[in-house]
Amino acid sequence: MSKNALLTLCLTAFLGLSAWAQQTVSGVVTSSSGEPLIGVNILEKGTTNGVLSDIDGSYTIEVAEGATLTFSYTGYETREMEVGNQATIDITLEEGVALDEVVVTALGIEKSKKALTYSVTELEPEGFSEAREVNVANSLAGKVAGVNVASTATGAGGSSRVIIRGNNSLSGTNQPLYVVDGIPIDNTNLGSAGMWGGSDAGDGISSINPNDIENISVLKGASAAALYGYRSANGVILITTKSGSKSGLNVEFNTQLRAESLNNTYDFQRQYGHGLNGTAPTTVAEALEQQLYAWGEPLNGAGVVQFDGETRPYSDQGDNIDRFYETGLTYINTLTLSGGNERLNFRFSGSNLDNSDIIPNSGLTRRNFTLRTNARISPKFTGTMSAMYVYENANNRPRLSDSPGNANYTAWSLPATVNVEDLRGNSGKLGANEDGTELQFNDNVFVTNPYWAAHQFDNDTNKDRIIGKVQLQYDFLPGLYARTRISLDRFTFRSRNLTPYGTAYSPFGQLSESNREVQELNTELLFGFDRDLTDDINISILAGGNQQRNFSETIGGSGNNFNVPFLHSIGNLANQSVNYGFGEWQVNSLYGSAEIGFMRAIYLSGSYRNDWFSTLTSPDGSGENNQGYYSAGASVVLSELVSLPSAIEFLKLRGSYATGSGPGVAANPYQLNLNYGIFGQGHLGNPLGGIANNSIPNSNLQPLLTKELELGFDVRLLQGRLGLDFTYYDRTTEGDIISAAVSPTSGFGSKIVNLGEMTNKGVELLLTATPIRKQDFSWDVTFNFANNQNEVVSLLTPEADGEALRDGESRTRNAYIEHVEGLPYSQIAGFTYARDANGEIMLDANGLPMQGEYTRFGTGVAPTTMGFGSTFRYKNLSLNFLIDMRMGGVIYSATNAFAYTRGLHQNTLVGRENGIGDVEAGNIEDYYQRIAGNITEEFVYDSDFGKLRQVVLNYTLPNRLMENLPVSGVTVGIAARNLAILWSDVPNIDPESTYNVGNGQGLEMFGVPSTRSIQFNLNVKF
Amino acid sequence: MYTYFRNILFVVVALMLTTTSCDEGFGELNTDPNAANEINPNFQFTWIQLRTSGERYENWRASLIYSSMMVQHMSALCGYWAGDKYTYNAGYSSSLFDRQYTQAVVEIQDLINTLESTEDGDQTMLGMARIWRVLIFHRLTDLYGDVPYSQAGKGFIEGVDFPEFDAQEDIYRDMLNELEEAVAQIGDSGGFGSSDLLYGGDQGAWRRFGNSLMLRLGMRLSEVDAATAQEYVNKAIQGGTLQAGENAFIEHTVGPEGINRNGIGEVLDKSQGFGDDCPRLSATLVNWMQSTDDPRLDVIGTLPVNGSEHNGLPNGLDAELINDNPTGTSLDDFSSVNQAIVSVASPMMFMTVAETELLKAEAALRGWGASDAASHYEAGVRAAMNMWADYGQPIASEDIDAYIANNPFDNTMESIGEQYWAATFLNEYEAFANWRRTGYPELTPVNYPGNVTGGTIPVRLALPQGELGTNPNMRAALDRQGLGTDFASHLTVPVWWDVN
Repeated sequence: MSKNALLTLCLTAFLGLSAWAQQTVSGVVTSSSGEPLIGVNILEKGTTNGVLSDIDGSYTIEVAEGATLTFSYTGYETREMEVGNQATIDITLEEGVALDEVVVTALGIEKSKKALTYSVTELEPEGFSEAREVNVANSLAGKVAGVNVASTATGAGGSSRVIIRGNNSLSGTNQPLYVVDGIPIDNTNLGSAGMWGGSDAGDGISSINPNDIENISVLKGASAAALYGYRSANGVILITTKSGSKSGLNVEFNTQLRAESLNNTYDFQRQYGHGLNGTAPTTVAEALEQQLYAWGEPLNGAGVVQFDGETRPYSDQGDNIDRFYETGLTYINTLTLSGGNERLNFRFSGSNLDNSDIIPNSGLTRRNFTLRTNARISPKFTGTMSAMYVYENANNRPRLSDSPGNANYTAWSLPATVNVEDLRGNSGKLGANEDGTELQFNDNVFVTNPYWAAHQFDNDTNKDRIIGKVQLQYDFLPGLYARTRISLDRFTFRSRNLTPYGTAYSPFGQLSESNREVQELNTELLFGFDRDLTDDINISILAGGNQQRNFSETIGGSGNNFNVPFLHSIGNLANQSVNYGFGEWQVNSLYGSAEIGFMRAIYLSGSYRNDWFSTLTSPDGSGENNQGYYSAGASVVLSELVSLPSAIEFLKLRGSYATGSGPGVAANPYQLNLNYGIFGQGHLGNPLGGIANNSIPNSNLQPLLTKELELGFDVRLLQGRLGLDFTYYDRTTEGDIISAAVSPTSGFGSKIVNLGEMTNKGVELLLTATPIRKQDFSWDVTFNFANNQNEVVSLLTPEADGEALRDGESRTRNAYIEHVEGLPYSQIAGFTYARDANGEIMLDANGLPMQGEYTRFGTGVAPTTMGFGSTFRYKNLSLNFLIDMRMGGVIYSATNAFAYTRGLHQNTLVGRENGIGDVEAGNIEDYYQRIAGNITEEFVYDSDFGKLRQVVLNYTLPNRLMENLPVSGVTVGIAARNLAILWSDVPNIDPESTYNVGNGQGLEMFGVPSTRSIQFNLNVKF
Repeated sequence: MYTYFRNILFVVVALMLTTTSCDEGFGELNTDPNAANEINPNFQFTWIQLRTSGERYENWRASLIYSSMMVQHMSALCGYWAGDKYTYNAGYSSSLFDRQYTQAVVEIQDLINTLESTEDGDQTMLGMARIWRVLIFHRLTDLYGDVPYSQAGKGFIEGVDFPEFDAQEDIYRDMLNELEEAVAQIGDSGGFGSSDLLYGGDQGAWRRFGNSLMLRLGMRLSEVDAATAQEYVNKAIQGGTLQAGENAFIEHTVGPEGINRNGIGEVLDKSQGFGDDCPRLSATLVNWMQSTDDPRLDVIGTLPVNGSEHNGLPNGLDAELINDNPTGTSLDDFSSVNQAIVSVASPMMFMTVAETELLKAEAALRGWGASDAASHYEAGVRAAMNMWADYGQPIASEDIDAYIANNPFDNTMESIGEQYWAATFLNEYEAFANWRRTGYPELTPVNYPGNVTGGTIPVRLALPQGELGTNPNMRAALDRQGLGTDFASHLTVPVWWDVN
């Protein structure tokens, strides 16, 4: 490539530059704790002559007579030494004060926090490894202002939805880019449930072992992420993994045991048993019809026939949920070896996670092996190589939402008089008849026996993943370097989805086997220049380019009807089809940034990036296929410039403006033209072919553009014991590329368009306080608050008002998710009760409530999030808790609608004895079923909640206890997650329930119940 | 210092200069290696025919669960067989609408567009495609009233994202005109050849199929606009309708995929795995056939598990009400649909000689362009019996002769309507439409608790409720037809042609 050749040329040109001097000085740079510091900038003041310290902290530099050396190192205070006639200068650098803390920013560049012109939040490792979730993204919940985390009701291996500063795109992904040690990783949700059921197949971030994480940096806005160009709009989460130690060999062992139990939110009526029309079944046929409905008689203890012909007492059979679900157990063991010598250091960790979920016969195994090495090849030449291998095996991912194969659906929804264990059957095969087929306990074949669903269905996924990079850096001079990096994220995703032979709704069974390969390869070349021009002026410049190449390929076989019963092999299928999918795309980018600081108090920064997309290039090479993005910002540390009241230790004002774009642009190849697919199987010897696009193609697509203004201040008072970080942002998304739902009568379900405009305006606030700071005792408090006001400004046509786009539908088929002009994103829509002028519910001729107007009830995405945390430390003991709160959203609960249909809901007790109006008691189910089927309003609830998200107790054994032991440090801890729902107005379900991580948020239906967990943690350093 | 700046500047400028080559090869990369940008019209026409025949989804819901129950061809105890009890299930009701636009309409519009925009395009193909388009749309409008028609399926070709709903009257006038033009367009050569699953490309058969469709649709207007009805019935009969052996149906196969199978078979065929055991033959149909010793009963029905006589299940019962039913209290007491005619490989019937002959008998009775009602009636009955040969279930000609001899035409519309009803078993959309037009046979409604019609048989199905939220044109269509937002109440509002 000509670009690479050119850059090589430039690199050679720089190599020719060198400095000269007359006097040799050498020495060692160490930290105050005596450790050698590697890579300290040692500069002959007033010149461009400089070197870096090596792995021992030692350096040698030739300087002119009378020179002064400047020693600077990020995170440490800069020192100057006059050389005089000394040949050796050993020097100790003190760690910088907190105000000079360094944060990881875009492209992995470390910067002084006070120089930032935008908001970046860093998270400490304890939060991730000690009170951990299996999916590290879920651990972010409640911790960062403006970061909204939703985990699916899918059990341990499920996906998470992380949204920073609200949603940007209506149908493209709104999740941030995850970058691990500079490697952008794939976070595609590999499968999700929808209105017709299905299961979640996990996401990409779940591969990361929380124990490997050194630090997480959240780049929230477009300015912070500007250098990521089209991947910037949703924010970027930078994960830095731990690296090797500087000397010797260190061994660390960490073991965790986590127990998880179901958080039973259900409160169904237990006064009336199974039956219909106010009577209990009297025959087996009636029992089969009525087993699912709690419209029977008041419990009376009499013997009533059930589905299997057995007569059982018509009385409260107790807690089915407790019987069916199990205690989830997770073991995580991690062994870490780290060490190094002069030229090389490494860190290796191996981790094993074994989980058995609360759903029987379901669980997750994850093994992580991570090796990271840093090498100093020569004083100016350093290299990093890292490789992470992850194996993830999810056993029997649970089905959600609709009933077929969904154990949760049935386990939750049995009437009080039915004991779920009676559905196990007596054949020895769970949920089966003697002949091995499903034991049906009701006449609707699509409501699957929960034991059959949990134990005989198979829904396994295996992921083999390699994430790795090679990075080389050459330091021409102190502060001037070239860096090249090749990074790869590749995985194979193998899935098997079995509907076993003998399943009631598919008696001969179905099987699908599929293998998916996904790869992203990035090649980057970067030049950086960072130095103090004078005492008062610092500049930092970056320029580089990146080539991103992705492909995915799916090969699978599927079919139905096993010839030989119970031989669940693809070759045994009577009807077989082959599935194949392929996509390939590329993005080329060039970028640069510059920052200049004056008097360590005033900073100006700017950046530019241009991206070229293959997906926006027509096959003939035409098309608006590239987009430029820029950012500009300024920050002023007022406390360094003017004299402020003594209570104000630090005060910084910042402001920035940036344009950016969302990832939806790049990842969908072949959508510019109408394509036809050929269906190879044909029909009676005739080939078949038809339109392959599900969406109306659009050859005029252009990249979307976000524009964001960010203003903020950071103030610290009273010797840093009180701090307030405040941010205001105002972001507009224009030309969102989305697959917009159009009327199916257009022939297509959706259309690929550049769509109008959406705005997100909000504030983020982080308050930190240390009310008590004593030798042995301290108390810290943090509070974060974020409010995001989203508005869909315009959709398809700018002129029209009140346009709406459909984005989801509930299985009840009378609740929808829509994006509506003038309203916030993700509106829950449906029908109200018809009401007369007095507001009374109108009834039809049969006395049943009538369906009223089509209405939008509110947004499914809560605009306000808050987190309140506190940490107490006493000597070696620390106690931390976190309360997570959300406000302002609504949820449509299909679970509650079904509870009406089935007569399970407490509200359905009204009228059972005396009827309601014209509806007689014997037909009272008609009344409630009408509401369940037609009146959306009844099941829309405010989804506000407060949850006690975590409590962590840690104890580090005092060193004196270990003097005679071969260990150097022992920490024990207990952490509890999701302990309690403190408040919620949603009956029967967890207000956070959702069955997928797509954009249509606010619908739920029969997910895996939420859990609370407690975990024991032991960490031993040798 | 200056040198550093100069060098950095040089790099940046050099990088920018290379930008012209930054999208090299992107066009090729964004060309799908696994799809075509043109399609052979033959391949697409076969595809469209299969997609019109439809999936399990809408055949189950709109055809069986609603239509077959409402016209009392079949009956069921299961609560979700909503058409048996006149309850309202939004998703079932709108299922044909939900599927046909994205499955069939879009493809036929695309094919017609391709054929029309091809220079010296095959006019015979175009004529056949236009006739097929009418077939797709008349089923939609008959079931739902005003539907998107003139702008439908044109999301890509004309950029119409939210089509307007056309009044049924306008749709009908255009469809009749389309049929007239399309039949004239079919020449003696050209067409889809063996890719045509209906007639193997036979141009003459296609002209007769077009005319027969014109006869069906013309007669549909008999009550609302007799003049137009008469005009097109005349034209159709003069043009020539289907001849013996020209029933319009598609052969299906066992697999390998859903598209190859008969959608009704996918619901009812127990040999291929799933088989919905809810429906039984309706007592209304069984009693009617038994009263005339109809030989078709043994073809369409299988004897009850308990019993040696056919026994129809009365409509409007459930597992509890059946306990008080005098003709049987268990599903095993009733005749079910013969598995041989509802296999996944059974043909899907769109129009039969029986229908055209019976329509001609009606025309003769009305004095519209045909004479000798009795002979058409007899031909219709005979064709209706012979139709089962297409399902591999031939009825002996002596049985047919005996039936005809014992049941001569009585010169009533009622007899024609009843025979039409019997002849359209499994073509439930048509059975439901003709029953609404003629009122024959005289069906006794049920009055199941919780029904939404006040105990009358529904006279249309409700459109998808969700369309109201997205398609700004739907509200006007509802207002125009006097339909409110309580969709359950739509079931009692007749469509335009359904008067008297």
